[in-house]
Amino acid sequence: MTRLTRRGLLAAAALGLGVRGAGSEAPRFATLDWALLETLLAMGVTPVAAAELVLFRAVAVEPPVPPRVVDIGLRGTPSFEALRLARPSLIFSSNYYAEMEPKLRRIAPVETISVYARGDPPFARAEDAARRLGTATGREGAARDLIAATHAGIERARDDLKRVEDRPLIVVNLGDARHFRVFGPDSMFGEVLARLGRTNAWRARTFYSASAPIGIEALARFPEAWIVVLPPVPPDARRLLPESAMWAAFPSVQAGRVLQLGAMNPFGGLPTAQRFARLLSAALLDPAGARFD
Amino acid sequence: MTDPVPVASAFRRSLPAWAGLFALGCALLLAGLVRLPPIDGDPATVRRLHAAILWHSLLPRAATALLAGAALGLAGALLQRVLRNPIADPSTLGIASGAQLALTLALAFAPGLLAVSREGVAFAGGVAAVALVLAMSWRRGLDPITVVIAGMTLSLMAAAASSALILARGEYVLSVFIWGAGSLHQQSWHAAQALAVQLALGAAAAAALLRPLAVLSLDDAGAHGLGVRLHAIRAIVIGVAVGLAASVIAQVGIIGFVGLAAPALARASGARTQGQILLAAPLIGSLLVWLADGLIQVAGGDLVPTGAAIGLLGGPLLLWMLPKLKPTTPVLAAAAPIQRLHAPWRTLAFLLAGGVFVGAVVLLVGRDLDGWAIAGSPLLADLLPFRLPRIVAAASAGALLGAAGGLMQRLTGNPLAGPEVLGVGAGAGVGLAAVLLLADAPGTATLMAGSAAGALAALLAILLIGLWTGFGADRLLMAGIALGCMGLAVLSAVFAAGGWTTFRLLVWMSGSTDKVGPPEAVAMALAALVLLAPLPLLARWIDILPLGSAVSRGVGLPLTAARLALCVLAALMTAVATFFVGPLSLVGLLGPHLARLLGFAGGTVFLAAAALIGANVLILADWLGRTLAFPYQIPVGLFAALVGGPYLIWLLQRGPAHRG
Repeated sequence: MTRLTRRGLLAAAALGLGVRGAGSEAPRFATLDWALLETLLAMGVTPVAAAELVLFRAVAVEPPVPPRVVDIGLRGTPSFEALRLARPSLIFSSNYYAEMEPKLRRIAPVETISVYARGDPPFARAEDAARRLGTATGREGAARDLIAATHAGIERARDDLKRVEDRPLIVVNLGDARHFRVFGPDSMFGEVLARLGRTNAWRARTFYSASAPIGIEALARFPEAWIVVLPPVPPDARRLLPESAMWAAFPSVQAGRVLQLGAMNPFGGLPTAQRFARLLSAALLDPAGARFD
Repeated sequence: MTDPVPVASAFRRSLPAWAGLFALGCALLLAGLVRLPPIDGDPATVRRLHAAILWHSLLPRAATALLAGAALGLAGALLQRVLRNPIADPSTLGIASGAQLALTLALAFAPGLLAVSREGVAFAGGVAAVALVLAMSWRRGLDPITVVIAGMTLSLMAAAASSALILARGEYVLSVFIWGAGSLHQQSWHAAQALAVQLALGAAAAAALLRPLAVLSLDDAGAHGLGVRLHAIRAIVIGVAVGLAASVIAQVGIIGFVGLAAPALARASGARTQGQILLAAPLIGSLLVWLADGLIQVAGGDLVPTGAAIGLLGGPLLLWMLPKLKPTTPVLAAAAPIQRLHAPWRTLAFLLAGGVFVGAVVLLVGRDLDGWAIAGSPLLADLLPFRLPRIVAAASAGALLGAAGGLMQRLTGNPLAGPEVLGVGAGAGVGLAAVLLLADAPGTATLMAGSAAGALAALLAILLIGLWTGFGADRLLMAGIALGCMGLAVLSAVFAAGGWTTFRLLVWMSGSTDKVGPPEAVAMALAALVLLAPLPLLARWIDILPLGSAVSRGVGLPLTAARLALCVLAALMTAVATFFVGPLSLVGLLGPHLARLLGFAGGTVFLAAAALIGANVLILADWLGRTLAFPYQIPVGLFAALVGGPYLIWLLQRGPAHRG
């Protein structure tokens, strides 16, 4: 009995050593957090495992996730077994998963890097996250490149937008035909708007993401603004809004100043910031191509 | 009808109050009209926009509030009449939750369906829910409290299923929460028109059914004698009520307890006859929703959705109505087994062995990255720290919930009284929500403390109400339901805010064991042992209590002390289980019922069997959730509901009649 157990333990230890101990093996990274995942991928680091890839591919879209990355299931309830079987040597987690850390530590060392924290603007934290990921993965250069590329991308979009009339923008997410959520100046999208030299029509804080649902009539307060709609657009909103008298009364709607951008992750990192800047400037330069209707 | 003078005077007395409230509503509406939002721009545009807000948002909002309130008031009055149940309404009967689950399902899997008819989808869900609730409580002769407990259980199951769906297909989360919290914002007359049509149809149907409804107030035999096709009329009336509620949910979401409050207030203000109540309830319902919505708009608009705010009133209202409910007699048959076992201890040992066997199998069998696999020694050693705690947690939680359910059934003599009926689970959820809202990314210890505090507060409230009402079974049940209702209303308001808090609460709500690590598993197993150990000592109380208070007092049982002790014990069991694995209401019902079906009768063996069966069920559900969609995990709560729910209904249907 004792011998059997000891043999089992030895075998397990040997197996663990075989993967982790060998110096020749490349380090194997895993992450639960989507902002960290997109940052890693943008730095050219392919993790062995990440969470909820089905939805990530649909919502965050870029960077593309190579098929060999193991999907460990939902972010809220990841499969620790799948993560264990992927045999990571370092796991990147964020404050959202603080509760799971003791279990993650049983699989591999955990490094916690949080892009979103209360009362702290996310853009600088996203840059910091890229730097820390660079240090942890030994790709400091790639991290510097990503930060530079993000700044350059935003700068390019800012230059392009100089050709477009300066109007305030309001970035929203439609809940149904009667409600929207708005991204305030303290959200990632709000910060990118500021860096693009544009005005966010919504001046109140929204606690680094979107606000609680707001009645659609509140859009009347911004007659001058561009309304930027982020997906997903619920089917009944798409059906009912064109028939709605309130919606039709908004000067922005009458003037065709409603845009719909491609899908993006509202809790993203630097790649999301870059994507937002690029898609927004493209849409504003060619509003006909991105018109919401 | 028999005392026209006091009725008339009650009516006269209450009239100024209603007139005052109506004036308040008008004042609130005027305040909203005067305080139109400031808009920057040229005066012509501002004037045009203010006009648009007035005509296409504020006025349709007021109209929608009035019409939705009327529809709910009428639905409540009809349901209360036809079920002869003063606490029936679309919320307590699970109609609202069923409709919301149907809308969520449609949104996740067939969004096109919603473009065709939201009302149709909501109606189908509502009808399914009410049919299930009535099927579950049929054997108890649709006893009011039993019906409401069935509705509450169904609501919790629907909430778990919705949470699981949202987690798995999280695209239209915002839409789902807006329905759940019931918001009255408008952007056209569309909702008001749809509701007006439904209300007109419902009112016409109610008027046509007035005479048959009056006959329904006679007992069944009398009504048959009069040649009324009883079941057909009942079905039609329930259909009309569900239709009214479903159209409100499809247009503006869940607005809780108006259907309960409006007829109750109508009766309190002197409405006595069928016609008076059916006329007054919609009017009062209108006024309630309109006032609440007006107050919320004046208070700042978007802080709390109207439906969730009104839902908060449901709890106190139920408590207020508590003394007015006719107590139902405790039922002996509820506790009697189908066929008493000759050697219960042998069967118990068999159940235990079965549990150990199932535990061993699910420990070994799982999925790896390539497919199904039986874990050999190196792999098993590797996965053990993840699998074993889950299995221990599932077993402990299942045992605790099974035993708590058994205790509750014996304590109340009601076969549908599950552990969640104590409201402790909802209290734990509210505590969890509070911690998530106040602390930034809290760890397990903080969350546990919050949840424990919430559960404790709920328990204290239950005990206070219990002491106040002498721990009468029905009173206890109603108090628990009232607390549960308030808890769910708070949670739906928190959900509507969105963000990370919502996400974490959803995970809890859907029920999952995977947060549990080795230390938590040890703590849970210890808690289970400590809480289950005293049961044999309490066996005598457990055997005698179901016989009713007279018998209990007769044999010298310290009635209040016994009820207090059992109640605290059941609540602690529920609190421990609920924190770790979420509000898994069904296990607490399944365990005791299966135990009874197997023939366990005596207090100790019955509770032990209920606990063992609960543990077995949860171990299996956890394993299925872990493996079927690997690596995506399906919440245990969903499995327990899908597998256990239909079985429970079948069980309740085929058991011996509990009455007579």
